[in-house]
Amino acid sequence: MTYQEFKDILYNGVWKQNTGVVQLLGMCPILAVSTSVVNGVSLGLATSVVMALSGAAIAPIRGIVPNEARIPVFILIIAVLVTLIQYLMNAYMYSLYVVLGIFIPLIVTNCIVLARIEAFAAKNPPLQSALDGLAMGLGLTAVLAILGGLREIFGHGTLLSGIDMALGESAKSLVITVVPNYHGFLLAILPPGAFLTLGCLIAGKNWLNLRAEKKLKDAASLEAAFPAAHA
Amino acid sequence: MSGFFSPFITKPVSVSQIMLHVLFALIPGIALYVWFYGPAILVSITLASITALGIEALMLKIQHKPVAPYLKDNSALLTAWLLALSIPTLAPWWLVVVGTAFAISISKHLYGGLGNNPFNPAMVGYAVLIISFPAYMTHWLAPQGVGGVSMSFSDQLGYMFQGLLPDGLTLDAVTMATPLDTLKTQLHQHSQIEHILNMPIYGHLAGKGGEWVAGGFLLGGFYLFAKRLISWHLPVAFLGSLFLIAGIFHLFDPAHYAAPLLHLFSGAAMLGAFFILTDPVTSPTTPRGKLIFAAGAALLTYLIRVFGGFPDGIAFATLLMNITVPLLDAWTQPKVFGKKEKRS
Amino acid sequence: MRRTLAKASFYTAVNLLAFALLGTAILAFTYNQTHERIEQSVEAEKLKLISQIVPQALFDNDVIADTLKITPDPLLGTEDATTAYRARLKGKPSVLVMEAVAPDGYSGKVALLIAIRDNGELAGVRVVSDRETPGLGDYIEIAKSKWILQFNGTSLAKYNGENWQVKKDGGQFDYMAGATISPRAVVKAVHKALQYFAQHQDALFAGTSLGVTP
Repeated sequence: MTYQEFKDILYNGVWKQNTGVVQLLGMCPILAVSTSVVNGVSLGLATSVVMALSGAAIAPIRGIVPNEARIPVFILIIAVLVTLIQYLMNAYMYSLYVVLGIFIPLIVTNCIVLARIEAFAAKNPPLQSALDGLAMGLGLTAVLAILGGLREIFGHGTLLSGIDMALGESAKSLVITVVPNYHGFLLAILPPGAFLTLGCLIAGKNWLNLRAEKKLKDAASLEAAFPAAHA
Repeated sequence: MSGFFSPFITKPVSVSQIMLHVLFALIPGIALYVWFYGPAILVSITLASITALGIEALMLKIQHKPVAPYLKDNSALLTAWLLALSIPTLAPWWLVVVGTAFAISISKHLYGGLGNNPFNPAMVGYAVLIISFPAYMTHWLAPQGVGGVSMSFSDQLGYMFQGLLPDGLTLDAVTMATPLDTLKTQLHQHSQIEHILNMPIYGHLAGKGGEWVAGGFLLGGFYLFAKRLISWHLPVAFLGSLFLIAGIFHLFDPAHYAAPLLHLFSGAAMLGAFFILTDPVTSPTTPRGKLIFAAGAALLTYLIRVFGGFPDGIAFATLLMNITVPLLDAWTQPKVFGKKEKRS
Repeated sequence: MRRTLAKASFYTAVNLLAFALLGTAILAFTYNQTHERIEQSVEAEKLKLISQIVPQALFDNDVIADTLKITPDPLLGTEDATTAYRARLKGKPSVLVMEAVAPDGYSGKVALLIAIRDNGELAGVRVVSDRETPGLGDYIEIAKSKWILQFNGTSLAKYNGENWQVKKDGGQFDYMAGATISPRAVVKAVHKALQYFAQHQDALFAGTSLGVTP
């Protein structure tokens, strides 16, 4: 894998084709779990691991799987990986596992996982496939982190609450109280807050895209008007 | 484009003038409100108005739209007044500001500004507040003559702006559940309607004080109707359906379902019928559409009031029916004469 | 043609089977490696909840293992058999942890976990599940406010019947203005559970079931 290839896959997964704010795939867990940074990032990372591993596992075997059995085999592999993660979280991060609940097993049905397998891992070598899954997952994690962070600040006035569920009791000191004695804006924590905040994030991403496009155009027209300046 | 557009006016009247008439029509209700609950509501209305105009100007500026002409259309003021009238009298100042700001910025301007917002902004503001701060949304003052303690105006201001209550006074002594809420919780405790209605907070038809305020809004509604600013369809269909539905339940089991007039004169029913549902932007334009829209809102209001978890149902009923408006408009659009109906 | 079709189908089936076997093997292995740890986690979580309402100093037995089946009872508001946990100190009964249901919360049932000491005092009460309005009636949960802690140390002996109400109704228990229904329900349910305990105290610490016909 060349450096350029590496950069392209990463840029594509994290920014250009971002699952959360561009492809809008797998909305159900995004909206349901993003009530806090810790919840959001945990599910995002779990999904990233599943995507990276399934990319790496499926790319090398795609040659020996007959076309008719493709989807069942892919789903089977994804399901095995998800169940594996579920066991591990259940054993080592029990309270986090209880909080994320049904959304861990539901990673299997998250369409983004199968979508990347079909669109990328079925055509590319294992290393690239793993990277693609990881990049897509990290893009999702970033969205979940921002969404969870905004909802947590507006809703509770804190950041990183519940971090002890992931890192153990000693991490409790990492919780940041952004606004002390906060009344709590419940709307942000409840489902409508998820839709509103995600809408704002998508608008923000589109605005950044438009601005970048405009800059590019301005630069091009400037160059067209004054070609000598760059000569 | 063919079809009907409300308001049905005979001579051209500007949006600004219509809105002024609507604001004027609210005055009898507000006057009675002040009479029964004290002048605190005027402070809420002023606060909401200032916030609404400020946020409106800010949003227009961000969008590079002309500020002055839009501000003068008075629609932001109407949103502010309706919201202030919908929330408890003893609302802390920030509650009024947050609700109004949300109504104007998100539910009006993010959807494209006046004429493009699918949801009634005042009701979105109310919904946001009751979901986010339900505890503050229960602080309704007891009307004059009910309950032992009454608050002076300066005490009310002290609570609204500093969150302080005079010594020895608790929130519980000066606030009370609304007549609708009391009805619901008492029924939960297996009381019967006739016993509940003997409680001091009930008057002739519905809640003491509240029934008069509702009457004031009814009067304002007549004014709007006389000025031909609203058509009869929405208010009549809404109040009629509510009366009918409540009447059927009441006939069926008078011990557990309140009389229809109590429903008409409780909560925001009158305000909703004449001032909220009639918002021309968020209601259907065809007469048939209006009838269906209002009847649906009445049904939802009754269901939420009697079987739901919220004290009143007008806001959520309005918002839910707002969603159906484009569909109702398309469905009830009269066919152009001479054109054959095409079935797909 | 037919032979190649049969061959392809066979190949597909074998392929699927192979992957299914491989997947099952991997999962079986992981399960084997983790299940002990998972069971420990589940028990630790239960113990954590119980030790929230039962002071560590009051027991030295394996509370999780010392259980008792209780049949549904109107005083407990339960409709199914529930499991109670018994804490003992030096072999003597010290605290009973049992479930009760307050059926008349503002939005339906409120499930409670109640710990009662052998002297009839409440060691602690927790709301296990409810459907209260967020921000209004949910202050009965420990995560939202300390309201539920006021039961600690109270007993039938300390308060007589009329005091087992919220202050608004003339009792001893605090509540928040605007949300009285659910606290009222919880106080009533705890009061009834104490009565149940008083009636059956001896039976509750003996045997492994109460009222359950095997």
